[in-house]
Formats: sequence, C-alpha cells, structure tokens
Amino acid sequence: MTHKELSSYIVEKIIDAGADKAVCRFKESTTDELSAEAGKINLFRTNYGYEISLVAIIDNKKGLISINQPDLKAIDKAVLDVVELANSSQPDDAHDISPLIENQTFQNGLKKTNKSLMMSRLDEFMKYIETTYPHVILEQVVLSFIASKMYHVNSNGVDYDVYNGLYSFFPMFTSKEGKNISSFNYTGFNAKDIEKPLHTFGTIERLIKESGEQTKTQSISGKFIGDIIFTPDSISTVLGMISRFIGEHSLISGTSVYKEKLNKQITSSKLTLHSKPRSDKLDAGYFLTNDGFIAQDSTIIKKGVLNTFLLGQYGANKTGLNKAVNNGGAWVIDSGEISLNEITSQTKKGIVLGRLSGSSPNENGDFSGVAKNSFYIEDGKIQFPISETMIAGNIVEMLMNINSISSERINFGSSILPFMSLSGATISGK
Amino acid sequence: MKKNKLDNFSQYFTNYTELRYHENRDLKIAIRNGDIVGNSLIAKSGISARVFDRGNWGFSSHPITDNSTVKNVIKTASQNAYTLSDKYKRDISLPSSSIVNEVNDFTTKNTKLSQKEIINFLKEIDDYILKTYPQLNSRTLSLSSLDMEKYLLTSDGCNTYSMNPKTSLYIILSMMKDGQPTNLLTSYGTEKLGQFEDRFTTLSAIQGKIDTQVEELMQKVDGAHANAGIQDVILDSALAGVLAHEAIGHTTEADLVLGGSVAGDYLNKLVADPLINLIDFAHTALGETAPVPVYVDDEGTKAKDVTILKNGELKAFMHNKESAQHFGVPPTGNARGFAFYDEPLIRMRNTAILPGTSKLDDMIASVDDGYYLMAYNNGQADSTSEFMFGCTKGYEIKNGVLGRAIKDTTISGVAFDMLKTVSMISDDMHWTNGGYCGKKQPMAVGMGGPAIKCKVNIGGR
Repeated sequence: MTHKELSSYIVEKIIDAGADKAVCRFKESTTDELSAEAGKINLFRTNYGYEISLVAIIDNKKGLISINQPDLKAIDKAVLDVVELANSSQPDDAHDISPLIENQTFQNGLKKTNKSLMMSRLDEFMKYIETTYPHVILEQVVLSFIASKMYHVNSNGVDYDVYNGLYSFFPMFTSKEGKNISSFNYTGFNAKDIEKPLHTFGTIERLIKESGEQTKTQSISGKFIGDIIFTPDSISTVLGMISRFIGEHSLISGTSVYKEKLNKQITSSKLTLHSKPRSDKLDAGYFLTNDGFIAQDSTIIKKGVLNTFLLGQYGANKTGLNKAVNNGGAWVIDSGEISLNEITSQTKKGIVLGRLSGSSPNENGDFSGVAKNSFYIEDGKIQFPISETMIAGNIVEMLMNINSISSERINFGSSILPFMSLSGATISGK
Repeated sequence: MKKNKLDNFSQYFTNYTELRYHENRDLKIAIRNGDIVGNSLIAKSGISARVFDRGNWGFSSHPITDNSTVKNVIKTASQNAYTLSDKYKRDISLPSSSIVNEVNDFTTKNTKLSQKEIINFLKEIDDYILKTYPQLNSRTLSLSSLDMEKYLLTSDGCNTYSMNPKTSLYIILSMMKDGQPTNLLTSYGTEKLGQFEDRFTTLSAIQGKIDTQVEELMQKVDGAHANAGIQDVILDSALAGVLAHEAIGHTTEADLVLGGSVAGDYLNKLVADPLINLIDFAHTALGETAPVPVYVDDEGTKAKDVTILKNGELKAFMHNKESAQHFGVPPTGNARGFAFYDEPLIRMRNTAILPGTSKLDDMIASVDDGYYLMAYNNGQADSTSEFMFGCTKGYEIKNGVLGRAIKDTTISGVAFDMLKTVSMISDDMHWTNGGYCGKKQPMAVGMGGPAIKCKVNIGGR
C-alpha cells in the first residue's frame, strides 16, 4: 500500500471498528539541516519522519492518537487504541469533522533541496558576517530544507494532498567587544529558494548590525510613561497576544476580553491586520486548517474593528459563533503612511523594542517584561542602547493608542510586518 | 527494539559513533469547564546515529528500525560527517569514555491505570472544584505524562537503557471582577519523577492544595500592581529553582560560554554572595533521586554532578565531550537529545541552589517594604546573565508582614550582580520538573532551591 492508500485504509478501519466519524492525517517528511555553533559549521543532519494522526468520534466522544510507524501492524493497533480512547472519553456534541466540499491537491515550493547550494550559502553567510561584523559571535545558525507530503482523509469523503518544500534559516547571535557583551538576539525567514545571500533576507543584517552597537548599554534611570516602537520582529509578541484573546481557549472559557467585541472597535483605526495563508506574497503560508478545511485569507481587524474570531470547528460549535476561515498566523499588517525615521522623530520619550523577554500576559491584557536589544529615544532621537530596563502595560489599552505604523514592512516568508508605535507603557530602569 | 539488537550494529561504526533508539510516549488530557477538549496519546520512536569525523558531526534518524534502515541511518550520518570534513577538516579528537553498561528504569511499580480511569480521576477533581467553588469563571485541567525510553550504543563501548517518566497536572482557575478576568495556574505532581500512578492517588491528597489555589486566586482578583523598580524581595523556594536555571545555569553551559556568555570571563571569580552554592545534580540530590535523573548521557558519558558555584565563586561549566576537550576538562554527562531525531545538546539536569540556615518567617519579617514572590510561569536567560521570569503569585511585605496580593508581574536582574545582593537563604528545599527548557529542542529538567532574600527589578506600574 502507498502512504496515500494507507490513509484511506485507516479511515475505513476506524469506521469498521465502530466509530461514527474518522480522520487520518498522514505526513511524511525529509529534513536536511546544516548547523553552525560558535561561528563554525559543524553539523549536517538528515532526518526522515512520519506523523500519522488518527481521530475517532463515537457517540460524540473523541479520541486522538498520533504514531510515527507506518507499518500495518502498528497502524492496526493504533486503530483499535483510538477507538478505545474515544470510548473512554465523554460526549460533547461540538466534536465534528470537516465536510466534503471539493477534493484538491496543493503544491508549494521545491520537491527536493539543493544540498551544495545550502552548503555554499551558509559558508558565504558565515564568512560575510565574520569579515563585516568582527565583534559578532554566531552562537547558533541553522539552515534547513523540509520536504513533506501530507494526506488528509476523513469519513465524509474529504481527501486532500499537500506537498511542501521550504527552506528556513535561523541565526542566533551576540556581540562581544573586550568584556562588553550584548544580549543575544535572533531572527529568521522561510523561503521557497535561497537564490540570494542569506544575510539579505528579512531583518538579518539589520539585527546583526544592531547587535554590534549593543555591547555598551545603559539603564534608563527611574520610570516614566512612554512610547514603545515594536519592530517587525518584536511585533509578533503583540500578534500572539491578540490571537490568544480571540482564540478558542479564551472564548470557550469565557475569559476573553474581546468576547463581546465582534464588529466593534478593539484597536486604533490605524491597524488593519490580515491572516493570509494563501497569499502569493508569503512563501510559507498553509493550505489546510488544523481541522481539515481549506484555508482562506481573511481580514482579522479592519481599521481597528474586529472582523472575526479565530475559532475552529469545535470552538464555533461550542460557542455558537462563526468558524474562522483559517488558523490565524500568516500575518500581514497594512503599511502606514510614515517612515520609521519619521516615527522615531515624532517620539518624545520611549524605546525601540527589539525583543521582549517577558511572561505571558494575563487574560485582561496586562503584560510586563525586559526590553532586550532595544534603544532609548528622547526628543525624537535614538540616544543609546539599553539594558536592565523593564516595560509594563495593558496591551488591550495600548492597542487603542497606536501612534503610527511604518510605511516600511519586512517579508519574513511567513508574515509581512511593519514597525508600530504604541503609547502608554510604563518604562522603568534601575 | 531490544537492547541486545543494537549490539549487532557496532560492526558498521567506522568513526566515533553514537546509535540511539529513543521513544517518547506522551499522554495528554485536557478538561475545560467540564468538557474533555483533549484526549490523546502521542508516540514517537526511532533510531538515530551521530558520527564524528575530523571535527565535524553527521547525524541521521529514521522512525523505522529494521536492520537495513538502521544500517542506512549509520551510513547517512557517516556520509554527512564526511561531507563537512571534506570542506572543514579540523584537528579535534574527542575524549574517550569508560565502558558503561547501565539499566535505569523508573517505570511505575503500581498498577497501571487505563486512560478512562485517568479521565475519571480528572473529572472527579473538576467536579470537586465546580461544586465547591461555583463562583469561578472557568476551570482548565491539563495533564501531560511523558515516558522517555532510550537504548544507547556507542563506539566507546557504552550500552545503556533508561526509562524516565515525568507527569504534570496544571490547573488554571479564573475569576471575573468588573468585567476583568484574573487567572491563577498551579502545578500538581511535579515535585518528583514518576508516572501518573506514582504521582496521583486520591482527590483528597490534593484537595488542600486546590483549596489554597482558589483562596490565593480570590486574593489576586483584588490584588495591586507591583511598584516598578528595584525592590527587596523574598523569592519563595518554588522560585529558587528557576533562578538557578535561568540566571546562572544557562550562562554556564559550555556551548553558550563558547557562544559569548559573560560567564566565560568569570571562572574562579566571586560572582555571588558566599552564601550561594549551586549544583547541577546528575541523578541524586541530597540523598534522594532527583526529579530528572541522568545516569548516563546521550554521548555515553557517566553523568557527574557539576558544582557551578561554591561559596559564591564560579567553579565549573557543564560540558559535552567536544566542549570538555576544548576546555581541557573531563566531560560531565550533560549531553541530551529530546527526541530520536534530535542531536544531543548540552542541557542542565537538576540545577539547584543549596539550602541555607534561615527560617522563611524570619526572612519575611526582615523586609520593611518589598514583596514575597511565590510562583512563576516562564523564564528566560541571556548571554549577559540578565534573566527574567514571570511571577504569577505574590504578596506585598510591609514592615515585615504580608499584605495585599499582587497581580502578574515580571522580575529581572543581572545574575552576577543580583546574586551579590543575597542576604538570607532558608533551610528548606523545593524541587520541580514541571515545564520544559527550550534550546533548539525542548528538554525535561529539574530545578530546585530554598527561599532567597535579595534585590531584583520588578516590572510593575
């Protein structure tokens, strides 16, 4: 049996074993990965993998088993186990599986990597950074290519094939000048090809250059209420908070601060946020939602108004609200009208936040953390890189006070994000 | 795959080679407001080979473990190492290990429960919370029970088996006031290693802790924001472990030292108050099995305790074979991989600050104006030793007496400065193996310590 045939076999077997509904998601992948540690390329990995997820629903009771052994003996055992698991659960009529609409095959990226190109690109990157930024230490650098095939089959007749082949790159670095050391920083990108040098993607060279400027830092003295300019890297922290508040856990548990805010203003009208998993502009989007629907692009927040929650099929059934057309992620924020330089010049007192080392926000939006890889701004000018500086605020309130969004945006392959200035944070030093 | 089957593959080793069969089995159950929203079993198993050739590593892994696949995995790892060495030949050799044959099996000796029985137990807890505390806005119970099983064969002659279980139950409770939700997460069962059957017996055994969690949540609902800035604090023993792990532990992992960590400049120097003694225990701590015991690491090195700080002085780093060779010291047995497809990295095992002589009540009484911080939800380290962790439970201290609860906050400091402000250490000890440490791969780690009086930066209003 081919792996695709096995997927259909699994669904049939689960139904034969007494389930009302069944799903199988069968994924096989090959990963080629080159790594460098402390500035030296020294590890080459080739990993083969399978992920076989089986779902059974019996009398509205659900069980899920995931195995990675594709032989019939292991699969037949997993079929019996998932049925037993479902039977051991308790009924919840919100459990369901995706309906058949139109079966499709999806393809993204390359089928196979070019290993010699990976070697030469990583070698070129290491040499470029070593010669251009001599104080930078590349703590860990990982360049990988993952080729995968996935089959999603369910007992409603859904049968999707998804083929993906993408590069991803993750450099983590710090800078050292004498005994002065910067905080570590990291960034990354996903791409269908690496036809251009790695340091030219995303924010890599910008952040590595800044790291070299962050070896001699100062703490801000005292505390004040000021502006935070989130960078395209650190803005993902804000997006994580928003998606949590409009996601399944917060809405089902009833703790979401946005639970009564559908079609209402939740941020300044300056923000328009999309989730675009199918956009041609993103190399690393996705085709299917986690629960087996074909993903579509959507606008989450339009000029500050919440257009949709991020509920899957279970969450929608549970709350009576509409199901989202995607899982979120693949974020695209509309660009603003002024440049980063203009945003900086309009900032009376605040910081450019390179990275937030912080804890999860409370359900009411309160958050706090340490400002890492960040710069202090006063009277419209960047003054100095900072350390031992904390920020705290309420993200729900701060999003109502967006000063500006930059005209520049960075395409990371998995998202397209600008700089965004918010006011109302407590910034405190020693 | 049985242990003796690995032996047959040593004939295919051409360079220094590690061959590891590794299986992770993770049982997960989540109940939200009475509904079972997660009920899963996830099993990942397979074989991996790592080969060292002229200063470079090749690695390969495959879920299938028949003879021809295992041979191919060894061959691919060897080819990968050769490919790198052909371009980056380095004159580095690894220290050899002594021959180790060990079996360390922590499988429960109690009768195994079915998933249905475990679900019923969790439902009993949930029903108790619902009936006793109807004023709560939401309840989430999240159970994870991971069994990590490994066979290891190395070209040095190491042939070992281990089975380490880790079980954690998190209960998150939430209350609303004036339209604003407040939540409090408390971990259960994380003080020691064990499977579900070892860590949980009856509802009554944890009922008191649940009652305390609700009481603390009600106080937190009316809590105040902490005052931002440098403050005198008592870190409860439940937080000392994360301090040991984040503030010092990470900076003294030898790969991070080579990556620029500030600790590289401080070996044999005083970096903390002499009250501070910090050890990364391999498997046995203060006479008891540690929460994450490591007897032999994934490079086949017999694991040894690493005394990182002795009377405030930085004495040693944690090593794998390659970093030990670089620094000219013996390997310490800190190399571990999380899953079969992960290469071993330098990871902490059971990192703890040792107890002192003070009493917690005396420590609280000694603070005029400060905070008693009691629980955390995450933490992060930095190459500069500037750490942070999120505090989810705490109280004001005014004139030596506990006052109002505080809302969630974050604390931070530069470890090698902050540890010089330590003035009292309690005589008790708290261990946890809850959560995972993140460093390319997740990893189960143990963390422990006593209560500590010190000064830290609080991110409040």
